[in-house]
Amino acid sequence: MRPRWRKVFLDLFENKLRTALVVFSIAVGVISIGVITGAYVIIANDMSASYSANHPMNVELRTEDFGSDLVTTVQGMRGVADAEGRRIFAMRVRMPGTVQWKTLDLVAIDDFKKVNINLLRPISGSIAPAKQEILLEKKALASLNLKPGEILELQLQDGTTRQLTVVGVVQDQTTGAGDFLSPPFAYIHTDTLEYLRQPNQFNRMFVTLSENQNNDEHLRAMAARIKDKIEKTDVGVGRSRVTKTNEHPMASTVQAILGILLALGVLILFLSSSLIANTLAALLNQHLRHIGVMKLVGGRRNQIFAMYITLIVAFGVIALLIAVPLGGQGAFGLAAFIADKLNFSLMGYRIVPLALVIQIVVGMAVPLLAGLLPVLNGSRITVLHAISGDIAEETAPPLAGGKKREAVVDRVLHRVTTGLARRGYHLPRPLLISLRNTFRRKGRLLLTLFTLTMGGAIFVAVFNVRVTLFDYIAAVGNYFKADVTVSFDRPYRLSEVQRDALRYPGVTAVEGWAFANAEVLFPDGTVADNMLILAPPVDSQLVEPTGLQGRWLLPGDEKVITISESILDKLPTLKAGDMLRMKVDGKEDDWRVAGIFKFVSQQGTIAYGSYDYFSRLTNLANRSVSFRIVGQAHDPASQQILSDGLDKYFRDLGYHVSETRTGKSTLATASESLDILVTFLLIMALLTASVGAMGLTGTMGMNVLERTREIGIMRAIGAVDAEIMRTVIVEGVVIGTISWFLGALLSFPFTYMLSTIVSLAVFNSPVEVHFTWLGYLIWLGVVLVLSALASVLPARNAARLTIREVLAYE
Amino acid sequence: MATVEQSSAQKYSPPLIELREVVKTYTSEAGDFTALKGIDLNIQAREFLGVIGKSGAGKSTLLNMITGVDHLTAGEVTIRAGDRPVSVHALTENELALWRGRTLGVVYQSFQLLPMLTLLENILLPMDLCGMYQPRESRRRAMELLELVEIPEHAHKLPAYISGGQQQRVAIARALANDPPILVADEPTGSLDSVTADHIFDVFEHLIEVGKTIIMVTHDMGLMPRFSRHLLLADGEIAPPPAPVTPAIPAPGRARR
Repeated sequence: MRPRWRKVFLDLFENKLRTALVVFSIAVGVISIGVITGAYVIIANDMSASYSANHPMNVELRTEDFGSDLVTTVQGMRGVADAEGRRIFAMRVRMPGTVQWKTLDLVAIDDFKKVNINLLRPISGSIAPAKQEILLEKKALASLNLKPGEILELQLQDGTTRQLTVVGVVQDQTTGAGDFLSPPFAYIHTDTLEYLRQPNQFNRMFVTLSENQNNDEHLRAMAARIKDKIEKTDVGVGRSRVTKTNEHPMASTVQAILGILLALGVLILFLSSSLIANTLAALLNQHLRHIGVMKLVGGRRNQIFAMYITLIVAFGVIALLIAVPLGGQGAFGLAAFIADKLNFSLMGYRIVPLALVIQIVVGMAVPLLAGLLPVLNGSRITVLHAISGDIAEETAPPLAGGKKREAVVDRVLHRVTTGLARRGYHLPRPLLISLRNTFRRKGRLLLTLFTLTMGGAIFVAVFNVRVTLFDYIAAVGNYFKADVTVSFDRPYRLSEVQRDALRYPGVTAVEGWAFANAEVLFPDGTVADNMLILAPPVDSQLVEPTGLQGRWLLPGDEKVITISESILDKLPTLKAGDMLRMKVDGKEDDWRVAGIFKFVSQQGTIAYGSYDYFSRLTNLANRSVSFRIVGQAHDPASQQILSDGLDKYFRDLGYHVSETRTGKSTLATASESLDILVTFLLIMALLTASVGAMGLTGTMGMNVLERTREIGIMRAIGAVDAEIMRTVIVEGVVIGTISWFLGALLSFPFTYMLSTIVSLAVFNSPVEVHFTWLGYLIWLGVVLVLSALASVLPARNAARLTIREVLAYE
Repeated sequence: MATVEQSSAQKYSPPLIELREVVKTYTSEAGDFTALKGIDLNIQAREFLGVIGKSGAGKSTLLNMITGVDHLTAGEVTIRAGDRPVSVHALTENELALWRGRTLGVVYQSFQLLPMLTLLENILLPMDLCGMYQPRESRRRAMELLELVEIPEHAHKLPAYISGGQQQRVAIARALANDPPILVADEPTGSLDSVTADHIFDVFEHLIEVGKTIIMVTHDMGLMPRFSRHLLLADGEIAPPPAPVTPAIPAPGRARR
């Protein structure tokens, strides 16, 4: 190998810590980008591919009971490829011998071998349950912890129990897709319905279309036609939903979230590039003498430039060797995690070519770009400067007449310290040295501060975003303020239920609510949206809406609703006070929109109306099937105790209880999915913080290395180890503290930006931003500890050197 | 001029190195400082010129003007080592690097070897950078140079594992790598003991014998007798001659340091 290339090769391993720092800085950025782009591509492809491979329905209709003749009728409609009827109903289940009941949605299918829509993928055991047998969806399996061959206990509405044998586990990627809050599914043969005291009839129609399965307009038009057809046979249709074949209902949400992570990945890359620039500038600075010698013996600028560019390329190649496999594994791991959470399957481990190319480009381009300026400056240096230069100082261009320019920071620092000294306040010398040392290499300080500040700002912002999201979920909880919702399978008088409920220990309030299903219509009569109208008493204490426009409900409101903002996706021009064409309980009419309120869009559009009006509309005046009950304690555990107690209490009194649910249970699932998102954000924040910490470690290491001679002088005039270490550590802590202040300031715009992007992705609407001290305090602690730790190693190295070693340092 | 007499042949051939009214002024916070005040100097081929002076006299500045390592304020430095005379300070930084690599060998008091390369590789480096020899020939030549400075057995050691005197020999060998006609040495014996310094002088004297021209800077008046010619530098000017003529090649026996 030629000597100059041998020098490049040896430079790679000359300072292992520095090489590790540069390689790690490049690798962190490359891994982040690799993981996120890889996962993005895998999910974008597999999520919808695995969804469409399972023959998802295009139209789902929730109906009154119907028989197989109606299925045949729909199958015969033009444009319909296939139709299947199923019965879906909720039941409370548990493992025999356990106390806790859980809710499952049971899907009854008449011929498992002929299932052509919403296919079930076998995981273990049988795929076709016989009478009194049951298949569990894998999510149900996870929540119940049962194995094939074991018994599942089901509770009927009168409280009696039935037992079914679990014969297999399947994965259903389609039926509950797109619904955050759907309970797990289980599957039975229609022959088992009677045993569970359910009518042997269908209540759900799944339809696939023969053409234009991915055209929203066509899907809606077909849904309306099928619905009309069904209603003409006197079977009421509660809700209809359309979904495209080639797109998972959650695809856009997941991709939006991955987009946010990608933005953070790019930011990490940006930060790591400033770290690379800093380290390479220091490396070139330490190599000035080498450059001088090479120029002295005939080395030209382009030769020196080529040598150091090759060194950077070598750093990039080493980083890629580490980052590409890790990035590929990480991408698949992240995709598998998301696939598991959203219940779709991946098409196996693979290298994503796009992610690989991006990683290689990023791994080579970022260090080259970051190192270009230091290398250009280094290769341009004169021999005289190179072999005689003092490398511990950054020299500003001199003033006219050769006077040295004093930087503003230095001037201020000098004036403050001398001013204090004149008033009798003498800063300790080591502290003074630390303070002045901090600002000696201003370019390096700026890059270090930039990295640490950005890391801190993102870290703090993630905590604020977390609080913002959870406060928003808590605000959504204001629509679910009851501790327990008891549903009966027949209406009961309000006064009767209230009287009995209030006798139960701990119950403080009871409200009966009315409900109606409605369709919002476009002017052309097609369905714009399905929605559930909840009708509490107008003076209800159990709803505290966050209004956007208009007003809430008033006594005497008739044909008046307030509606959630997600309706604006379908009808963007709708305002409070406008009339809205709706079909409520089969009757089409114009309704006034009194107000628009905020609500989680993923839960679909909901509306509120007055109980008095809706109970009359549904012929249930002074009666209800659903009661909201308030207890004394509102935490999830107390709610669960109250829920279980009331369930038994009402059954013992002879009520036909269909279901009891705790108020927090709905929110728990939403919170869980947010927790996953926040965890990812926090991981990204920790990565940015670690890049910042590495930057500081590198900076302190370089500062100490360049000042080795000064440290020797300090020791020669009597400075002990502790004093030398203190000057270095204080310098690190000063940098950390400055970055904390800057990061705290920058966290405000970051919080607003990140909260808006995340809430738009998750809730489809911007949310009110909230702040928490927690992030600021944790980051203060982290940055102080990090900056002290980042300085300890270089400080210890400095203190260990003997005077002879440091004064002889070249 | 404060120089020794030159041979008549040398007097009538154009000088190898010619300095005309060279001025170097440094600008600093304390004011302007003129390190060289209009130096006129001719150096003939095969001379062993000693530039002697106290600290701050301008000796190293003078060498920097000859090597082009630093820029001059006024005047001109011309070197006639190749096909045509070269005005050193008219070259660009890049041209200067290549020209210097081929024409001048520079030796410093602090050796300036690259610590990560072996002695052999340090000597190979100028040949690699200037591209004057094929790799195989470079290697043979580097070994010959190590033999010339009498340390071939250390060829594959790193600089840190040999003595200061040995490092200076390697620095000389490296300076000779591209077979330059001129060797410039700035206090090459300054950090060596007297026995080692004598060995270095032996090498220099051998190089003069084989046709090299050496300009050496020192503050040690005692070395005067070992040069074929010397000049005294004081306050940036060439001082009157303090010493009688000495032979071009010193007589056997060692000079006192």
